[in-house]
Amino acid sequence: MSAGHVAIDALVALSVAVAVLCAVGVLVTREPLDRLHYVTPVAAVSTAVLATAVVLHESFNARGLKAVLVAVTFIVLAPVLTQATARAVRVHRFGDWTIRPDEKKKS
Amino acid sequence: MNAWLLGAAVLLVTLLGVGIFAFRGPMFDRLVGLQLASAIGTLALLLLAEGYGRDIYFDLAVVLAAVSFGGTLAFVRFLERWL
Repeated sequence: MSAGHVAIDALVALSVAVAVLCAVGVLVTREPLDRLHYVTPVAAVSTAVLATAVVLHESFNARGLKAVLVAVTFIVLAPVLTQATARAVRVHRFGDWTIRPDEKKKS
Repeated sequence: MNAWLLGAAVLLVTLLGVGIFAFRGPMFDRLVGLQLASAIGTLALLLLAEGYGRDIYFDLAVVLAAVSFGGTLAFVRFLERWL
């Protein structure tokens, strides 16, 4: 087994490990706003690492480019979704997403 | 079984757990579960595509990544405005 294959397998293992750990994190934490923090590493780190592994394995052919496209899609769109979800949680709880006066005092 | 398929198997088991989580609990917890399931499902498709050497699975992963964003965003806006 060459060093390239070892690197690819290590990247695949890292990508899967991050996804599994984040899933455990989501299951363990209690608050939706805390849980949101565990979605981002899957979308940003796992997809990017996996796309790197695919590109190392396939080079920049159609498969490699599609893997990169998936990673870029997640990296660009996941923060938008996370922000929208956090905003929806606050609107649902407080009727508004802006910081309340008592929260200003705490900070 | 190569590393790609092994990783896909692990992710599919994880997806099962996240799927059960998305069926239970408070509304916004389910939404977070849906977000995570979308990301893990896309990763599993990428791994399966590379493991089996099927180009069509890469297309599915690209489509799922784009469509899951729109679908989850629609849920978010609906929950924010009407529930």
